[in-house]
Amino acid sequence: MKIFRNINNRACPNKIVLIVVLLLCINSFDVAAQDVLGVIGNPKGVPSKLATAELKSVMKGEKQRWKDGTKIVIALMKTNTPLGQSSAKKIYNMSGDELNRFWLALVFQGKTSAPTFFSSVSDLEAFVAQTPGAIGIIKKEASNEAKLIPIDGKKEF
Amino acid sequence: MKYYTKVFWGIVITIFFGKGQSNAQVSNTQIKGFVDVITSYQKNKSAFTLGEQDLFITSDLSDRLSFLGESVFKYSASSPTLFDVSIERIVLKYNYAGNHNILFGKHHTPINYWNDTYHHGRVFFPTIYRPLMFSTGIIPLHSTGLSMQGLNLGKYRFGYDIMVGNGLGSTDVSDNNIFKSLTAAFHFKPIDGLRIGASYYRDIISSNALSTHQNHGGSVNSLSRTLRQELLSGSISYFKNKWEFLTEASMAFNRTDSTGTAQTSVAYAYAGYRIKDKFIPYVRFDWSEYGKNEIYFKKDNTNSYLVGLRYQINYLAVVKFEYEHVSSKFAGIVDNYTAQFAIGF
Repeated sequence: MKIFRNINNRACPNKIVLIVVLLLCINSFDVAAQDVLGVIGNPKGVPSKLATAELKSVMKGEKQRWKDGTKIVIALMKTNTPLGQSSAKKIYNMSGDELNRFWLALVFQGKTSAPTFFSSVSDLEAFVAQTPGAIGIIKKEASNEAKLIPIDGKKEF
Repeated sequence: MKYYTKVFWGIVITIFFGKGQSNAQVSNTQIKGFVDVITSYQKNKSAFTLGEQDLFITSDLSDRLSFLGESVFKYSASSPTLFDVSIERIVLKYNYAGNHNILFGKHHTPINYWNDTYHHGRVFFPTIYRPLMFSTGIIPLHSTGLSMQGLNLGKYRFGYDIMVGNGLGSTDVSDNNIFKSLTAAFHFKPIDGLRIGASYYRDIISSNALSTHQNHGGSVNSLSRTLRQELLSGSISYFKNKWEFLTEASMAFNRTDSTGTAQTSVAYAYAGYRIKDKFIPYVRFDWSEYGKNEIYFKKDNTNSYLVGLRYQINYLAVVKFEYEHVSSKFAGIVDNYTAQFAIGF
């Protein structure tokens, strides 16, 4: 009985540790889905600062041109990437699947051009740098803070 | 006619020699499509049915000029191969300023929400089939012509469409009379998910005019005299979070000198509620009532209601199950049980 009690005494903390680890893992997935995001834009057309409402309107395809007349080109990470899922949630308040459906419907209706979706952040950054009017969403990091466009005065959201 | 010819060439010159050529991008041509298959049970008989294969192509030709084409392959008993190909849309769009566009080609007539939003995209349809008002020849589904369009203007995201088309009775390549159809539509979106719209359509339809190419699944009577048609339509849609609500109504006024004005009214209302993320149970009610002196539409007064369940596998695949009860003047009472598997690719 003593042996069993000892085993049980050891097992209980182990179970608790296991549960805590699992919860942390689940929580870390949640954190991954809630990345701190930043906005980058091509100097041609994209304003040096934006308001949240304007950013969301642009990213939803509601505007076709920037104020200087340059065509708006949207660059997003694919929705099967963690950054793509974060972008879908924070900007569109949609799941990745809902975002894909949203764009497919808009393009089918002939209302707007589809965004360009990327698998790698470096490809997205290069595309935005080379394309007049392009705006893209990336993960905010210390190394890229300088080039981020302030949204409501902050370089993250 | 000279006036329209001048307008057309003015637009062509503007498109090809006007502003916006300096910022041309690489054409990002995309090909997408939709397919559906159906199984149904009606009057002690079941059947498997191949639906349509819809292909649509989009391409940005410059930073102001874009193209959209849509073709449908579907069963046709009158075709030697038992299949027909129809051109549903060929639209050249020129964005001349901000959110304002000029469109030329064959369009979905921008009269109603459903016609302009879903049309052949069956993976987007909230129900298996179109509402009754789009399958009885009342709404001119397509128009070939020229339109001005504005989208998401101002705080309430106002939008407009003004279109001049060949009109009913004409074909995709020629007009059968000197009269043009006119469509004027506007909508606004005061909050996310809500869209409120209204439209006006008028046309003069010549006697013995062909009137089938603009319609799907509906036919109209051959006219022995010229008819003047006006349509007034309104729509309210709300798709947000878990709720889906869509209702549309149209009133048609068909007038001839000898029969006077006949008024026909059609409407439907759809409601759905998303449960468990992928499951959406829904209901729809359709209603149509024709004027006693109507001579153009087939006077098949109909009421129907349906209940269904939509299972959204992902954004490219959806399964729907429906029970529909139809009560119509011509066919009497019919109960339909239908299942559809629709995909996009």
